[in-house]
Amino acid sequence: MDSCYAVDKELEKLCDKYKSANDRMQQTLGDFITSVQGYVSEISQKPQDEVVSESMKTAVADFVERAKATNVSVGNAHKDLHGSVSKLGKTIDRNFTSDFSAVITEGAFDGEWKQRLLNEVVCEHFLRQGMLDIAESLNEDAYLQLPQVRKEPFLELHRILESLRQHILDPALQWAEQNREELNRRKSPLEFKLHRLRFIELVKCGAIKQKEVLDYARKLAPFADEHTKDMQLLMGSLLYLNEGVQNSTYSFLFEESSWAEICDIFTRDACGLLGLSVESPLSVGINAGCKALPPLLSIRQVMQSRQVAGVWSSKEELPVEIDLGQEYRYHSIFACPILRQQSSEQNPPMRLMCGHVISKDALHKLVVGNSNRFKCPYCPVEMTTIDTRQIYF
Amino acid sequence: MADVRTLEHSTLKVPYELLNKQFRASQKVIDREVSKLTSTAGDLEKKIQDSALTVRDVTSALSTMVDNLSMLKRKAEESIQEELGATRVIKRRLEHLQERDAYGAKDGPPPITWQKSRLDRMLVEYFLRAGYYNSALKLARHSGIEDLTNIELFMLSKEIEDCLAKGDTKPCLSWCADNRSKLRKMKSTLEFNIRKHEFIEMIREDKRMDAIKKHEFIEMIREDKRMDAIKHSRKYFSSVEPNQVADVQRLMGMLAFNGKSPDCPYTELLNSQNWQKLVLQFRQENFKLHQLNSTSVFTATLQAGLSALKTPHCYKEDGNVRNPDCPVCSTNMNELAHSLPFAHCSNSKLVCNITGFALNEHNPPMMLPNGRIYGLRALENMADDNEGRVVCPRTREIFHVDDLEKVFVM
Repeated sequence: MDSCYAVDKELEKLCDKYKSANDRMQQTLGDFITSVQGYVSEISQKPQDEVVSESMKTAVADFVERAKATNVSVGNAHKDLHGSVSKLGKTIDRNFTSDFSAVITEGAFDGEWKQRLLNEVVCEHFLRQGMLDIAESLNEDAYLQLPQVRKEPFLELHRILESLRQHILDPALQWAEQNREELNRRKSPLEFKLHRLRFIELVKCGAIKQKEVLDYARKLAPFADEHTKDMQLLMGSLLYLNEGVQNSTYSFLFEESSWAEICDIFTRDACGLLGLSVESPLSVGINAGCKALPPLLSIRQVMQSRQVAGVWSSKEELPVEIDLGQEYRYHSIFACPILRQQSSEQNPPMRLMCGHVISKDALHKLVVGNSNRFKCPYCPVEMTTIDTRQIYF
Repeated sequence: MADVRTLEHSTLKVPYELLNKQFRASQKVIDREVSKLTSTAGDLEKKIQDSALTVRDVTSALSTMVDNLSMLKRKAEESIQEELGATRVIKRRLEHLQERDAYGAKDGPPPITWQKSRLDRMLVEYFLRAGYYNSALKLARHSGIEDLTNIELFMLSKEIEDCLAKGDTKPCLSWCADNRSKLRKMKSTLEFNIRKHEFIEMIREDKRMDAIKKHEFIEMIREDKRMDAIKHSRKYFSSVEPNQVADVQRLMGMLAFNGKSPDCPYTELLNSQNWQKLVLQFRQENFKLHQLNSTSVFTATLQAGLSALKTPHCYKEDGNVRNPDCPVCSTNMNELAHSLPFAHCSNSKLVCNITGFALNEHNPPMMLPNGRIYGLRALENMADDNEGRVVCPRTREIFHVDDLEKVFVM
């Protein structure tokens, strides 16, 4: 954070200068005013129509001189601050990148249609965050008229999540029952976990709810096969119903973390069922951009200084590899270790007999003459092209 | 850390420009008070030459001087407090930027809440630029980032824009006057264009009059308007830049024609849409003046991000290779990213098609007999549940777990 630190230091200096300049000015002016006022009250004792004496004239002339000097000093005191002010501006310019137009694809987001697409993405982002009034406001400002059908999934998602956060289980349970088939296909533990939480809530109430607890246990029965261990733990807690479960070895059941977990599970399942991504695509895109922009800018500067800027203009591919990290990898990319090229439909990855993978083009380059035979570039195995096969990541 | 350096220039530079502006305004105020005091002092200096000067005269002159001094003292204090107020805005933003590294490692990703507020800040700016003022205000209030975004600047420009769109040039012209020296340095044509429009408007108005009534005295008004236009042009066009001369000549040429006649070669100039262009020009110049880029940080960042994520897989016809979690694969973004460059990739980056986890030594890639590659962990899990059988999710073929073969990707 050196850039912030540099600006901060400059700003501190500037503030100090302001304060000391102000003190100085106030002091000078204050002193001057007091002395003039003192003199005025002194001469007010004299008869007002008396002609001014020479000594008084000298005193007044002194004041005039002093007024001129004060003028100069006050005017300059403020003017002199300008150096420090503009230094702050220069420090900001030096420590922060002011222009990133060089890495922008001109016109990529231009036009009414693209603008609309982008605004829809932003609007859905807000719907997903549950910031409904802002989504609505954007809807109006940008004349989006997003159809209710597109809003509904987000609204439902958000409504259920909001009640889960307030420890209200019913909406989520209802949703899970409605979508039971699909959830089972995904092997989702959602419904069981929801019932489990409700059970725990009942247990929390202690012995007075004993009957309800036992009744509710029946509801858990259908899940017994899949979650045997969990079930046993739940029922085990009943041993301590009278003495208070929170003081027993089962106190972990009451941990707050199970609520956070259920929110996660629900979000994942609901998004999966609705065909939505778990994270907001806009957040992911922007966070990726925050990682990608700095290296892109620095490579761009290097390219400009070496006057190879034209390379960029191909626009087909970014000029450098940007490693966003594992969580941003959504697709397998195979780059041929020999040709250093991404695979494509025409140049797919091929598995050699020994298990090593190279691209088809690289493979053809290895085959000499008509023999069809070649040696793996990584190990001593020899084979023919028939021994290789195309693979799909 | 690098992201702050790259993305936050305007966060600090805009309030700095406001401080700078405040400084100049303060200097003007102080200079004015100083010159008042100087003239009082000068008067007094002259008076003491007068031999008939009475004590009363001296008392009143000195009282005036005290008044002047107190005024100067007060104004100086006020001005400096205003400027200090402007520095506090910068300070507040610096503090927010520094919060990024307050928790956790310096080079690591920023805290989640900070990331979220960064996105909101970007969106507020994007909204303001697009003119979605309501949404911008609501979002800023909702996320508590009013003091971190340049809302005030944009709201001010909104007023001027609204007036301009209605054809009221006054606020914009006074804005031009406020920033004259800077605009000149930028070689701005804004003021010239406004004057040009005023001129055109005068000619246009008489066209309307003409259409309503053909009366003798209307004819006079018409003449009058033309006279106005000529006066206007004398006043504002006589000292134009050399490259604007051609424009001026075109305008003067228009005087010779009757606006309503269909053969008037200047109809394009009379188009009322031109005000909208003026609004856009004003907006651009205002950005430049406050050191804002012509593209929003939001757009630039999103472009860079989509590019870095964009793979050929995102554009395959086969829907199976698309990943619902990948932003570039989502419908809208897919189209938005269309003209952006692809990510560059010279090293293989493999993920399991089933789980999305990385394929590496802990989760080695395995080939099914049909050539499809998955991570060992996903396949083993599937085999455990199905008595050793695995189903290829892409082709629905069923294989035995013993038929898996290793692949080595360098």
